[in-house]
Amino acid sequence: MSTFAIDTRRHPAAVRERRTWFDAKALLALPGLAFMTLAFALPVILLVSESFVGPDGLTLDGYRKVLADDYYVGIVGNSIKLALITTGTTLLLGYPAAFALARARGRLQVILFALIFLPLTVSIIVKTFGISIMMGRNGIINWLLVNLGFIERPIRLVFTEFNLYFGMVNVFLPFMILPLYSVMRMLDQRLTDAAASLGAGPVYTFAHVTLPLTMPGVIAGVSLVFSISVAAYVTPSLLIGDRFMTMSQVMAKAYLNIRDFQLGASMAVVLLTIATAIVLAASYLARAPGQSGR
Amino acid sequence: MTSGPARAEPSPAPSTDARYLDVAGVTKRFGATVVLKDLSIAVEQAEFVSLLGPSGCGKTTLLRLIAGLLTAELGTISVGGRDLTRVAAHRRNIGVVFQNYALFPHLTVAENVAFGLKAQRTSKPEIEQRVHEALGLVRMQSFADRSVASLSGGQQQRIAVARAIVVKPTLLLLDEPFSALDRKLRETMQIEMRHLLRNLGITSIFVTHDQDEALVMSDRIAVMSEGRIEHLGSPSEVYSRPRTLYVMEFVGQSTRVAGRVAGGSQGNLSIDTPLGRLSAPGGFAAGAAVVAGVRPEAILLGEGPEAEFNNLRANLSDVVFFGSKTTLIFAGAGPGDRILVEIARLPQSLRPGQEVAIRWRIDDTMVFPAP
Repeated sequence: MSTFAIDTRRHPAAVRERRTWFDAKALLALPGLAFMTLAFALPVILLVSESFVGPDGLTLDGYRKVLADDYYVGIVGNSIKLALITTGTTLLLGYPAAFALARARGRLQVILFALIFLPLTVSIIVKTFGISIMMGRNGIINWLLVNLGFIERPIRLVFTEFNLYFGMVNVFLPFMILPLYSVMRMLDQRLTDAAASLGAGPVYTFAHVTLPLTMPGVIAGVSLVFSISVAAYVTPSLLIGDRFMTMSQVMAKAYLNIRDFQLGASMAVVLLTIATAIVLAASYLARAPGQSGR
Repeated sequence: MTSGPARAEPSPAPSTDARYLDVAGVTKRFGATVVLKDLSIAVEQAEFVSLLGPSGCGKTTLLRLIAGLLTAELGTISVGGRDLTRVAAHRRNIGVVFQNYALFPHLTVAENVAFGLKAQRTSKPEIEQRVHEALGLVRMQSFADRSVASLSGGQQQRIAVARAIVVKPTLLLLDEPFSALDRKLRETMQIEMRHLLRNLGITSIFVTHDQDEALVMSDRIAVMSEGRIEHLGSPSEVYSRPRTLYVMEFVGQSTRVAGRVAGGSQGNLSIDTPLGRLSAPGGFAAGAAVVAGVRPEAILLGEGPEAEFNNLRANLSDVVFFGSKTTLIFAGAGPGDRILVEIARLPQSLRPGQEVAIRWRIDDTMVFPAP
C-alpha cells in the first residue's frame, strides 16, 4: 500500500477548514476520561501528596532518601539500567523481526504473527517459571553448555542478571515489535526501489530511507518498552529477587513490609517522573520531523 | 531556460548504437507462471520506446528486469555494451520514474532530487548546482524547499523526473508515469516530457497501457501480449501495418470482418464475407479463414471505382458524436464483426437504420489469419 501517495493527494486545506474550536465528537472521550480521573489521576494526586508527608508533618525526607542515599540512588540506577538493556535488546531483536513480519505474505505472515504474539497469551508468571526451569542446574541450557564442551560443570544461571535480562527481553519483545510493525506495514516498498535506481546501496538506503521513515515506530516501541520495563515488578522479583533491587521492588517493600509510606510514595513519584519524561521526550521526537518538514 | 550543462551524456560512444539497450532471450517466471517468454528487444541510443499492452502482459516485469529490481531466469541485458545481467540495481545507473512517483516523503523537493547525487558522494557545490539545474528543467525551481506532500500530482511527477535525470542515467525507465493524472494534465505532461527527454537525448523506455499515449510519445512502440512482443515498430507502422490481429485490435479502433479466402494471386486476394466479396493485398491460400481489418478513418461514404476500392452496403446502427469527429457504427454479420467509420462531419440525411454505401481502398485492407 502506498500510504504516502494517498496522503499527498488529500488537500491539507480542505481538512483544516472543517476543524473548529470545538468538535462534538470529542465528547465521546468523556466516559473514558471520567474513569481515568477516578482510577488514575486521583490516586496519583494522593500518592504525590503522601510523598511529602512524614511522621512529623510536611517534609522532603522521602525525596532526600531516594535521591541522596547511595543505596536508593543505586536502585534507581538499577531500574534505569534494566530498562535500557531491555529496551536496547528488544529493539535490536524486534526491528528485523518486525520488518520480516511486515514483508511476509500469506501463510508465512500468519505463522510469524503467531510466533511473535502467542507468548503474550501466556501469563508472565508461567513464562518466568519456565525460564527458571530452563536456566536451572539441571536445565537444558546447562545441559547444552556441558555437552557442547563450553563448561565442565553446570554453572549458576538462575538469579543472575543475565537470567533477568533474558526474561525481560522475552516478556517485552512483542511490545517492541507491535508498534514497529504497524509503521513498517505502511512503508512503501517502491521507495527502496527508487533509492536503488538512484545508485544508493542497501546500507545507504537503510540509513536514509528505511530508518527515518520507520523512526516513529522506533520511538513508539522504545518509549513503550522503556516505560513499562523501568517499572517492571513481577519479572525481576521472580527471576532475581533481592539480589537486584529495582524501584518497584522497593516500593512494594516500603508499602507491604516496612510500612514506610513516604519512602514508597517518593520512589513512586520518581519512577513516574522518569517514565513520563521518556514518553514526553518520545512524543516530542516523533513530532519534530513533521514540523521541520513544512 | 536552463539547458546545456545539465544535458545528460548517456554513453561514451559518440555514434548512435542500434543495440544500445540489448535485451536478449529473457525469460521470467513467478512461481509456475511464465511472465516473459524468451523475449528480446534492442533499443537505439536516444530512442524513446514504449512497451504497450494490457495489464498482466509482462511490460512492468520487463521494466523491472532492466532496472535490476528483478532477476531473469534466462537471458542477458546490456546497456551501451556493458552486460548488466548480474549487476545489482544500485550499480546499474538506470533511472526509474515510478507509477506513484515514489518520492521520499521525509525529504524536501530539493533533497529528493539530491538523493542520488548524495548517495553517489558527489561534492556539495556540484550537488547544489545540478539540483538547481534539474529543477529548472522541470520548471520547479521555486518549489525547492517545499515538502513533497504539499505538491500536486503533476508537480510530484516533475520532481520524480528531475530526481531520475539529475544523476545522468544511461537509460531512463518510466512506469506508467501519467496514469494518476487527470486527462488534460496528462496530455500536457506527455508533450512536455517528450520534449524534455528528446532534448536531453536520454534513451527512454516507457511502460503504458494507453495506446494514445504510446502513439503520441514514442519513436517506436513494442506491443506486448502474454509475455511476448507482438510487434515492434514506429507508431505509424504499428497503427497502419499491424503485424497481428491482436495489435490491430489493441492499437486504435478498427473495422473487423471475418471471411474466407476465395482465391487470388500475386498478393491480390479476394475474400468472401457475409457483406460481400472484398479485395485485399496479402498472401493466403484459398479456403483459409481470415479476418479483414480497416482503420475507421480509411473508410469513406459513397461508392468508388471497383479497381481501387472495396464497395459495401451496410446498415447504420449508431452514430456517436465526439466533437471534432463523428463515428458511424454499422452492424456486422458475424460474431465479433463490426464496421467503424470516422467522418469529420455528419451528412444531414444520415439516420440510424439506413443502408449506407461505404468504400475503402483495397490497399488499406489488412488481412490476418482468423484466431
